[in-house]
Amino acid sequence: MDERFIPRGVQRAPFWRFMAWIIPWFGVLLWGLYGASLCLYEGLNQTNMDNRFAFGLWIYLDLTVIAFGAGAFFTGFLLYIMKRRELQPVINTAVVLGLICYSSAIMVLMVDVGQPLRAWFTFWHPNTHSMLTEVTFCLTCYIVVLIIEYAPLVLKNRQFRNIPRFLVFEFELHKLMPVFAAIGAFLSFFHQGSLGGLYGVLRGRPFAFREELGIWPTTFFLFVLSAMAAGPSFVLVITRLVERLSAKRLVRQNVFATLGKISGMLLTIYLGLKSVDTLVWINGTSPSAGFPAFEYYQRASFGTWILFAEIVPFGLVPALMLLNAKVRNHTPLLVTAALLVLAGVTLNRFVLTIQTLSLPTLTFDPFLTYVPSWQEVATFAAVIAYGVLLYSISFRYLPLFPQEREIARIER
Amino acid sequence: MLPWVYEFRWEPTHIIFLGVFFSVLTLILITLARAGARTVRDIRSHLDDNISWTLAFEELASSSRVCRHELNGDIQHRTCTNEFDCRSCEAHRAFLVSGRSASAAVIQRSPTSSGMFGLHVPLDRYYHRGHTWVKPEADGTITVGLDDLGRRMVGKIEAVELPGPGERVTANGHGWTIISNKGRARLRSPIDGNVIAAGSESEEWFLRVAPVEGGPDMSHLLRGPEVKPWVMRELERLQFALSPDGGSPALADGGVPVRSMPDAIPMKDWEGVWEEMFLQA
Repeated sequence: MDERFIPRGVQRAPFWRFMAWIIPWFGVLLWGLYGASLCLYEGLNQTNMDNRFAFGLWIYLDLTVIAFGAGAFFTGFLLYIMKRRELQPVINTAVVLGLICYSSAIMVLMVDVGQPLRAWFTFWHPNTHSMLTEVTFCLTCYIVVLIIEYAPLVLKNRQFRNIPRFLVFEFELHKLMPVFAAIGAFLSFFHQGSLGGLYGVLRGRPFAFREELGIWPTTFFLFVLSAMAAGPSFVLVITRLVERLSAKRLVRQNVFATLGKISGMLLTIYLGLKSVDTLVWINGTSPSAGFPAFEYYQRASFGTWILFAEIVPFGLVPALMLLNAKVRNHTPLLVTAALLVLAGVTLNRFVLTIQTLSLPTLTFDPFLTYVPSWQEVATFAAVIAYGVLLYSISFRYLPLFPQEREIARIER
Repeated sequence: MLPWVYEFRWEPTHIIFLGVFFSVLTLILITLARAGARTVRDIRSHLDDNISWTLAFEELASSSRVCRHELNGDIQHRTCTNEFDCRSCEAHRAFLVSGRSASAAVIQRSPTSSGMFGLHVPLDRYYHRGHTWVKPEADGTITVGLDDLGRRMVGKIEAVELPGPGERVTANGHGWTIISNKGRARLRSPIDGNVIAAGSESEEWFLRVAPVEGGPDMSHLLRGPEVKPWVMRELERLQFALSPDGGSPALADGGVPVRSMPDAIPMKDWEGVWEEMFLQA
């Protein structure tokens, strides 16, 4: 039915099976859109957030998907600027994942901040002293870059390629990709950093507050590094997942191994700096603010296990695994290590968002608990569904994996 | 300086932050505009054919980019990196200088050796890797056609879209389009020249071309002893293109390819097979 739109030389599931996969996700998307529309129409009273607990599931989701989306800028940077040609087979999928992650984050922010028709206020009345303003500006520019990077992929669709103007535009745009890759790296460095930095400057929240390095708190650099470590792992995990779901080999093993190695090296650097940062915070920053660090871990839900889990099983273990060449060449272990990296970054964002706000900072403050409302969960689910839909459609109709045809020929 | 920003003040933070932001935004827009301007320039300069060929070649599997000197036994393994354009290939020149290469063969004037794997492949002409051929005529003009394997792949022709007399065709650029009940097959021109006559589906040839000034350069086209190993390789490529997902291509058992493959093999995506075999982007 839709064979004429499917890239030449690759096989995709029958149309009916594709629809059977798409329709449930579309249902989830509609449910989520209903929840989001309630929030936009009725207001944030539809959520379980309040003035005291202002960052909830959505901000946690934002921070996590933006970290995962770092694979797009970092892969582009390594390929186009550092000339690491071995990453060519995954650049397309990295761009699609980046676009999904960043556009999801922006959509959720629209619901979270509310009044999307006034979104332009942030550009008209910028608070140039706020890290969030920098994040907003960078995200806006970077989503434009991601759309431009995605455009040549769309123009590679078999039917578009028959139109000479599209073919030539795709060719010329592709030649200028190093410029966009450099802009993407520049923007991502600052917004990934500022997302972490905005917690580090919360002087009234000693659990999150950190010392400054230059003009930025240490969390600025830790966020950049952790996102750079998580990005390649996310590309690896999703590519492997798509291989399993489609029952096809899409990239060669050495590409997975390269992604794993990059992730492992960056994770090791991150862990070293994170450990130093944590020790400085326990022994200096927090006590000087009047809070012995152990007090934060007296709460039943957030014991020291959470710090241990973040640094050892979700940090040190995957780092050591990914630095080992034998593990990198063993796909199940490699994927396990990459999943542990992602779990570590997810937990880190959870700690900074939810744990930071739960802990009391004044003597009369209670320990706050927060459970998201169904509207928040629905909006969260809609973002996942949107990502699955956009990726599925891209995988079916666009040549995401340039090695796929060659591998299929060899395997036959 | 920054008229869009409300309450802008001449403070370092405002100047640096907003300056960087608008610089980045400007750079994005300029780069995008540059891509657009280059596109317009390329189309006006008729470079779209070259670009299409470059992209098509890049996307070919390495097993489909076998050098002609591997086909004719000059070298054990070599993958072409010059878009099948031997006219500007140093390696090709070196093989010719050695004097033993089959690529130096002179074509025969009589249509001999027409039987090749059950296909009619006369050796009085030159063959392009996209299944078109070139035959020099006695009056100095050149006839251009589709080879027998190509015709069998296309099957019953319903119509053809040919360039008119006076139009220019370029080697590896768009030649003509064949329309059948299974879709549209686009063919590449094997040679540079100006069209002086257009044929039809009932004739052996599709175009009659006057060579460009300086005479026709056909050094990029296959000839003589090179043709048979190429045809054999193309039959293998066709089997891969036709085999279903996960299946292995069946080896030929000595039978003869049918006259109209689309009628014999009721698969849906014949356009995809043509794009693959006729080297389209």
